[in-house]
Amino acid sequence: MPVLSSSQKYNLVTIMNNHIPHGKLLGIEVDSVDGEELTLKLPYQAALVGDSDSGTLHGGALTVLLDQTLGIATVCSDTTEPCFSPTLDLRVDHLGVAPAGMDVFACAKVYKSTRKILFVEGFAYCESKDKPIARATGSWVRVGDVDLSWLVPGDQGGVIT
Amino acid sequence: MTQANNIQNAFSPATLKLWLQKIPYAVFLGMKAELHKTDFLFTLPKDERFIGNPSLPALHGGVVGAFMEQAAALQLIVSMDEPRLPKIINFSLDYLRPARLHDTYAKCVLNRQGRFITNITVTAWQEQLDQPNAIARAHFFTPQPT
Repeated sequence: MPVLSSSQKYNLVTIMNNHIPHGKLLGIEVDSVDGEELTLKLPYQAALVGDSDSGTLHGGALTVLLDQTLGIATVCSDTTEPCFSPTLDLRVDHLGVAPAGMDVFACAKVYKSTRKILFVEGFAYCESKDKPIARATGSWVRVGDVDLSWLVPGDQGGVIT
Repeated sequence: MTQANNIQNAFSPATLKLWLQKIPYAVFLGMKAELHKTDFLFTLPKDERFIGNPSLPALHGGVVGAFMEQAAALQLIVSMDEPRLPKIINFSLDYLRPARLHDTYAKCVLNRQGRFITNITVTAWQEQLDQPNAIARAHFFTPQPT
């Protein structure tokens, strides 16, 4: 039984995402919440290029996007109460490059939660999910429940966003 | 090993600065590199633009990782006979302490420089080297001179 409805998750992740100053600076925004999977979008920008000859995105910018996506995806798990969770570790496999001029999407979901640890995995892609440019896995530590009292009252599975 | 040392000695901070300017994201981070004896010390200057958690405040963990990845790439560039941009294969990052709004430093160790692939570890710290904020390990594909 999901702890939160899709619209509640969408509200929660949007507030969390917009609470991260550096993410806002880069223009990282919530694309969608689909069940337990969260997708964020990083718009292309010249400042984040790693190789000025090819215009491809820097691997570090992908790390920022993936860290943020996997971290926020922790509250989309249906198996555990949303909680504040600092990152324990993160691994990124670079499967390809983000071509010049293209926005990057990152999707992530919790694949296992224990009492203290949330194990999260995700992908980054540009054109389609079938063509991932990076894969990430990481673990987050549960340190305390999120106060959800401010969340939309009485949402009984309303709007699916 | 001797080769790497020679090149490091020949590689002036001014040349490294030129490389930094070729990488827009390194410019965005405002990264600095200085030569301390035989080791390069990389700095991510304190900057409110990098805050991830405004309550603490703490730097965005991804930015600390990105800085460490770029430090590793630069360390690799200075070790090459013919410096080229190395290509990252994977990056594994352990967060030990939240990075506060201070200058962040990084140093790298090349563990194995193979013909095509290099294994490198990076330590990032703020107050004290023996209290690192994060440690990372990366593999890079090092293009061979043609």
